[in-house]
Amino acid sequence: MATSILALSMVSFAFTLIQQSKPWPVPEKSAKMANPVKADKASIAAGKSLWNLHCASCHGKTGLGDGSKAAQLKTQPEDMTKAALQGQSDGSMYYKISEGRDDMPSFKKKIPDAEDIWNVVNYIRTLKK
Amino acid sequence: MKKINKYIMANTCYIRACLVVVFCVSAGSLMAQGSSAKDSVAKKDATVKTPAAAQDSTPAAPVAKKRSYTKNTFDGNYIIDNQTVMVPIKGTLEFDIQHRFGAVDHGFKDLFGLFASATMKLGFSYTPINNLQVGFDATNEKMEVDWNLKYALLKQTRDDAFPVSVTLYGNAMMDTRAKDNTTLFVSTSDRFSYFYQVIVARKFSENFSLQIAPSLAHFNNLPGFLDAAGNVQQIYKNDNFLIATSARYKISEGSSIIVNYDQPITQNPANNPRPDISFGLEMRTSGHDFEIFFGNYGSLMPQNNVLFNQNNFRTGQFVLGFNISRLWNF
Repeated sequence: MATSILALSMVSFAFTLIQQSKPWPVPEKSAKMANPVKADKASIAAGKSLWNLHCASCHGKTGLGDGSKAAQLKTQPEDMTKAALQGQSDGSMYYKISEGRDDMPSFKKKIPDAEDIWNVVNYIRTLKK
Repeated sequence: MKKINKYIMANTCYIRACLVVVFCVSAGSLMAQGSSAKDSVAKKDATVKTPAAAQDSTPAAPVAKKRSYTKNTFDGNYIIDNQTVMVPIKGTLEFDIQHRFGAVDHGFKDLFGLFASATMKLGFSYTPINNLQVGFDATNEKMEVDWNLKYALLKQTRDDAFPVSVTLYGNAMMDTRAKDNTTLFVSTSDRFSYFYQVIVARKFSENFSLQIAPSLAHFNNLPGFLDAAGNVQQIYKNDNFLIATSARYKISEGSSIIVNYDQPITQNPANNPRPDISFGLEMRTSGHDFEIFFGNYGSLMPQNNVLFNQNNFRTGQFVLGFNISRLWNF
């Protein structure tokens, strides 16, 4: 019985480790950077197109973190519809997309135009529930 | 020998003309970029939006107000057997795997071409500077290799101030088979052929793009035959023109229907090449581009298709093929 409880505890702890995302500090200057691209129809459409090409395979079509590759990652992609992510500044999102970390690749070479990264940020805002 | 020299001279002229055009346009674009850079510095403050949220209190990342070009006219470098107008972004390395099975018209004899002899090509291309791609391909057909250049000369603008994109493509292909009784090589230049293309494309909407590419294939050396009088007669002309037409229609964010029609123009003394119709599906992800299709072209080097295609769409001589491209950004 004790062995079973111990095993269960270890499995639960392991899952906790996988699920918990470690803090991702963003330099203050980047976090406070203002979004220069107006979130109009064209920007959101461009952002959606880039999202589907580069992001949806991990983050899921609607940003729930349930993309087809999500199960193979070491880090569970964050639910982008929730306040925890939506509460971040546009600058923080821009920094994270641009620089990447661990499983999340840097997109500054794949999406070299800064305006396009801002378009993705504008699209992520529309995922809020 | 005179004939060979004539064609070498002709080729040299083509290459020189292309280089002059590329140089002039590059110089023009550099000058234009220089002046727009000055403008953008002057207007930089005007392009920064007032912060929308209280947390965004520092100046925005500089998104320069520059001329905005239409993006993703096509999804990849290839549309079935044709090059597209697209040149990948600077620093992109692309690895291509292409395969063409046999014609389906033999039915179960070779399982609709799947067990017939297939043509394969492996290719690498790299974009060292903006708008210029260099590449190398190798195929099992006659052990041919090619070196190619692709240059995005002009780009369609989003405001339609310039309505089309124009890209130049050219290759030099070498037949690397060993010299024997079946080959016609007298000198090294006999192994070479060339392919030149001016690709003009327009993205009409987010879903629909169309391109037309006048093309020229030149072979230094081609087989002939002896007539009754013992004179050598040509089967093919050394220069063959063709018009390639390609279209893409997006059916979802990641997939498209793709079609080509390639019409030979030059009339040869014999064995005129046949036109090509091809159609298929394209699927694009962040780092890959997949295409699966049916078409009449069975070769993987463009000049071979221009001159030697004998598959006839009227008699159902279609081949199954696929292209896989893997992209890395450095």
